[in-house]
Amino acid sequence: MKILVIEDNTELLHDIQNFLEREGNVCEVAPDYKTAYMKVGIFPYDILVIDITLPDGNGLDIIREIKKENLDVGIIIISAKNALGDKVHGLEIGADDYLTKPFYLPELNARINALYRRKVYHGSKEIVFNEIKIRPEKHEVFVNDRPMTLTKKEFDIIHFFVANKNRLLTKEAIAEHLWGDHIEMADSFKFIYTHLANLRKKIAELGGKDYIKSIYRVGYKFTDQE
Amino acid sequence: MKLLAKTNTYYLIFLVILAPVMIAVDYYLIRYIINDEVNEKLIHESERIKYYLAKEGEIPRSNYLFDLTPMEEASPNLNRFNDTLIFESYAERLIPYRTYEFSAQVGAEKLKVSLRHLLLEMNKLILWLFAATTFILILLATGLFFINHKISNWAWRPFFRNLSKLKAYNVKQKSPVHLEPSGISEFEAFNQVVTTLMNQVEKDFRNLKEFNENISHEMQTPLAIIRNKMVLLLESQNLHEKELQWVQAAYQEVNKLSKIGKSLTLISRIENQEFTRLDSVDFRAIIDNIITNMEEIINFKKLEMTAKLSSVEVKCDPILANILFTNLIKNAIQHNEDGGYIQMLLNEEKFEIENTGPVLRTETTQLFNRFQKDNTATDTLGLGLAINQKICEIYGFQLDYEHDNGKHKFCLMFNEHRKRVQAEGKYNLN
Repeated sequence: MKILVIEDNTELLHDIQNFLEREGNVCEVAPDYKTAYMKVGIFPYDILVIDITLPDGNGLDIIREIKKENLDVGIIIISAKNALGDKVHGLEIGADDYLTKPFYLPELNARINALYRRKVYHGSKEIVFNEIKIRPEKHEVFVNDRPMTLTKKEFDIIHFFVANKNRLLTKEAIAEHLWGDHIEMADSFKFIYTHLANLRKKIAELGGKDYIKSIYRVGYKFTDQE
Repeated sequence: MKLLAKTNTYYLIFLVILAPVMIAVDYYLIRYIINDEVNEKLIHESERIKYYLAKEGEIPRSNYLFDLTPMEEASPNLNRFNDTLIFESYAERLIPYRTYEFSAQVGAEKLKVSLRHLLLEMNKLILWLFAATTFILILLATGLFFINHKISNWAWRPFFRNLSKLKAYNVKQKSPVHLEPSGISEFEAFNQVVTTLMNQVEKDFRNLKEFNENISHEMQTPLAIIRNKMVLLLESQNLHEKELQWVQAAYQEVNKLSKIGKSLTLISRIENQEFTRLDSVDFRAIIDNIITNMEEIINFKKLEMTAKLSSVEVKCDPILANILFTNLIKNAIQHNEDGGYIQMLLNEEKFEIENTGPVLRTETTQLFNRFQKDNTATDTLGLGLAINQKICEIYGFQLDYEHDNGKHKFCLMFNEHRKRVQAEGKYNLN
């Protein structure tokens, strides 16, 4: 898919760009309002990632402008402000999602993928990773076409993993994905650990391979590479 | 104690001391004057008798004369005033008299002439004096009290008006307080000092607020970058275990920093009253939602959960309500022990959440402070309850905590909030 990231901090901009490009996307960047405005006018994008506070303008104006012509584009707002006025306003004028800085890049990636699927395939597309198949809208997972019984959080974990395959997912990023922002819980890491063990077992029972690799003590990687 | 009551008390004490002194002075003064008068009368009468005797050769009739005795020898009491009690049979009691005796030659006989004059009964005098003085003093005191009251009402009126303005003063409000001029120089000086102080406080508050906002806001982007780079480092194949360990430790701290930033931003935004929505929020729906989200971790910790929730609608911002209940329920899970329980109760009046957990060493009153946590080993920040406190403050909810030997209970009362909403019709956050 084709993504435009609008963010005034170039370092963060390149982090996002690198991350998304490694996932096989075409990712363009715009460090300010002017460049962004020009780019959205010329090229069609599937997804826009927009920082609201730009040095020479307001990201909300870009959303308004683009929504006049292209209704299908998916828009994710990223903002350090965490101002709810912005969030509500942004969603009202046509943004699809909102992330508060600092966010985890795998989280952004998962949201982009989910949004893209919703926009382009209306959610009906399956995600396939070797013998594992996920139907996100129905919360179903199949291994070798045999259905897995999963709890809600187990589904969230495997969905998040497959959406960010071959990437290091830190325990913190997983915890925030599962429970959201304002929750810090010491138990969550233990919970993740236990449920990953369950997941491994369940996948193995259905004849699947063990793709969940522990990375040192920081987190996990879902990968079929050695 | 009110100033007026205080001054009145001092007046009263003064009067209580003054009264006996006044009575004593009155008593001695009156006694002296009366005795003096009586003495004069008796002397005058004795002179008259002596004169008459010398002229006519006999004792004249006199109202004061009561005794004539022959004098054999020199009497020691001659020409002296004496107080004496004489039994009067008509009254059947002793009556005080002042007597004066002198010698007189009637023919060949030398006589002792005794004169007497009725004296006032001193007991009665004291009684009446006391009554009169007390009456006057009471009159004086009440008069003073009323006058004082009126004067202070009138003179202190600007002061009290300013006081009520200052009571209503809130540093978070943008409207400045205008203190009324009173024309009384002490009050004017006071007003000036207060105004200067308020300006200074407002300035400091503004600076602090801006600093808080900026620091927690501006650090988020750099933190995001640091975090991304650390993940890249962790993914790198070239690091040894020792180095990975360092990066991991740094990564965790960066995460903590970022969460602190987010929480502090939230607190300052609640303080800035950015959450102005007033929807009818169904607390049960919110709590149910949170429980669903937490369900698996509750099961994971083998906690037994019972929830008696009735449908309750309260006017507030749904986002804040969500944060409030999330924090409370999260606390109950986090500070629980394996195999413990959580009990929730929601009705029109309150939300109660009780859980088992290790006994706290922190003082209950400090629990709501920022960065207060009982156990330094846990990964929590200790900001959850501080956030809750802020939310309760702006809505008038009351959040109480009690614990009893391993049982912890938070109680959130909505009554005050409901009253406020009703009283103001439309709840105004300012």
